[in-house]
Amino acid sequence: MLTSSHLHELWSYRDLIIRLAWSDFKLRYKSSALGFFWSLLEPLLMLLVLYVVFSNLMRIQVEHYQLFLLLGIILWNFLDRGTSMSIWGIVGKPSLVQKVYFPRDILVISTCTTALMMTALEFVVFVIFMAVFRVLPGLTLAYFPVLFVCEFLMILGLSLALSALNVYFRDVQFIWRLVVQVGFFATPILYPITIFPEKLRWIVMLNPMAQIITMMRDCTLYRISPEPLNLAYVAVSTLIVLLLGYLIFEHLEPKFAEAI
Amino acid sequence: MVVKVEHLWKTFQIPHERRTTLFENLMGLMRPNQYETFTVLKDVSFEVNEGECVGIIGDNGSGKSTLLKIIANILRPSRGTVRVEGKMTPFLELGVGFQPDLTVRENIGVYGTVMGLPRKEIRDRTDDVIEFAGLHRFEDTKLKNLSSGMQVRLAFSTAIQTNPDVLLVDEVLAVGDMEFQQKCFDVFNRYRKDGVTILFVSHDLGAVRRFCDRTLLLGGGAQRVFGETEDVLDRYVYCRSSNGNSPDNSNNGPDSSNRWGNKKVTITDVDLLDKFGIRCKRFNSMDPMTIRINYHAVEDLSDITFGIAIHADDGRHIFGTNTKIKGVPQRVLAGDGHINLKIEHIPMLSGKYLLSPAAQSLDYGITYDWIDKQYSFEVIPTSGDAGTVAIPCSWDSK
Repeated sequence: MLTSSHLHELWSYRDLIIRLAWSDFKLRYKSSALGFFWSLLEPLLMLLVLYVVFSNLMRIQVEHYQLFLLLGIILWNFLDRGTSMSIWGIVGKPSLVQKVYFPRDILVISTCTTALMMTALEFVVFVIFMAVFRVLPGLTLAYFPVLFVCEFLMILGLSLALSALNVYFRDVQFIWRLVVQVGFFATPILYPITIFPEKLRWIVMLNPMAQIITMMRDCTLYRISPEPLNLAYVAVSTLIVLLLGYLIFEHLEPKFAEAI
Repeated sequence: MVVKVEHLWKTFQIPHERRTTLFENLMGLMRPNQYETFTVLKDVSFEVNEGECVGIIGDNGSGKSTLLKIIANILRPSRGTVRVEGKMTPFLELGVGFQPDLTVRENIGVYGTVMGLPRKEIRDRTDDVIEFAGLHRFEDTKLKNLSSGMQVRLAFSTAIQTNPDVLLVDEVLAVGDMEFQQKCFDVFNRYRKDGVTILFVSHDLGAVRRFCDRTLLLGGGAQRVFGETEDVLDRYVYCRSSNGNSPDNSNNGPDSSNRWGNKKVTITDVDLLDKFGIRCKRFNSMDPMTIRINYHAVEDLSDITFGIAIHADDGRHIFGTNTKIKGVPQRVLAGDGHINLKIEHIPMLSGKYLLSPAAQSLDYGITYDWIDKQYSFEVIPTSGDAGTVAIPCSWDSK
């Protein structure tokens, strides 16, 4: 559980977390000649297609729509990648579960860290884009790391639950893919929240990812500070997801080695 | 106490129908799944002191590995507690977490970290590890391009860099050639000298005898005995098979093709007796053994020789002797009787042996009864000596 002694233990395993994350990261790019450029190509191609479709055909009028779209895609990709990779975090590493012992949430944390590294690469592209389009962030950028940490912890909470459930129910991965697909369109990534009538917006914004993405865009691109209430909502929901994730993980962890 | 195990129970539940998906579980809500329950460990309790080396032995399926995994915290007990003080490193498998697509150098980093080595020590010792594994020309080669022997060497060289307080070893020594095993033993000796507490699961009773101060014998999941290694091994070797030494195919009677003679004297049974005088099929190398031939004679005979032959299970003739060679003429009276052959020290180092008892006339012209290779016994190694037989010897540097 998230007790201080467990956090202390995790800290003592920080080398392992980073080593596992880093070797996983390297492995993902080692086999291809173009290396990590492939991983940058994917969001860029997606950006191109979506930009052409939505700005011309759908005529969405948003200031800095390219950056708006790119940031949304990167942030959603982070969630998608982090959780999808973590679903295999336990099942995909049987020898690390059955032949050696360390706190098993380390496997999930390190996988999420790998996703974080990949996302960091994409942010390099984003920064270049911002320079190209001459958008300078203001002081409100200070909220960015806060929100980003929230997203990371939210992903971690989801990943803990998913990775543990996938040990016992192998179709969780398919169900989760479906959720991610639906979520991509139900979250204001391609469009601003303003396309919904004022009265319905709160329903969309119940989704913490909608809150996170909207606020991160606001503070990065438009120099708008987040509403304290929204920030609090994100913080609380992150905490709940993380806590629930740990509860599920803790409950299922004892029989991992037998069930894999 | 560094390791304390108290009233440990472990049961596994094996479902008749394994449901691995949410869908199957939802569909199965109507029909409750039935489980087979296997009790793998039954009320095991023992304590290991600091710096002690404790062996865990028992037949296959007696729960040795499960016990080790529970101590390592990989499996959780169903009941009871396990307490371990200090840093524990399990050697359950070599090369845990090896990534075939990473280089040798990178894998040392990953594996070393998994085994609990701090980053700084890994950095300092990587060159030593590569040197020790004899891979200095391959340090930037991907692991998958190395031979499996090289991979084992690399894993071993990395693993032994750890400095645990408690070491759990499961049959790691079973892999590899003689030279590799010798290397393993050297390393374990070093760990012992450094005061590391070792728990050692093995089938190699010779290794257990050499390394372990005390030994735990498991049988069918229950704790049979825990005590001084010598005593426990004797109990394991000698008290396990008290079902005697009837011919191996006793169910259908000795095969006539392997038995011949005119039956004036029939060999009714052969008992192999251990040093306690108990019928047994397993013997420690260099322990005494008595071969007792029970016979039944139809009439009084003074023209008789009793003999035995011992063959290795690959057919090699190891030894043969009889009463005539030894110059002890025999005569038998009508009725039942027996004769003992006393072996002071079993000179064979290890392996399975076949025994053929026989009764013949003095000039070997008449065979009364000959049961060819129908009895068997096993010799358990007790020393580290290599080869087939123990040659009595000692070193002297004067």
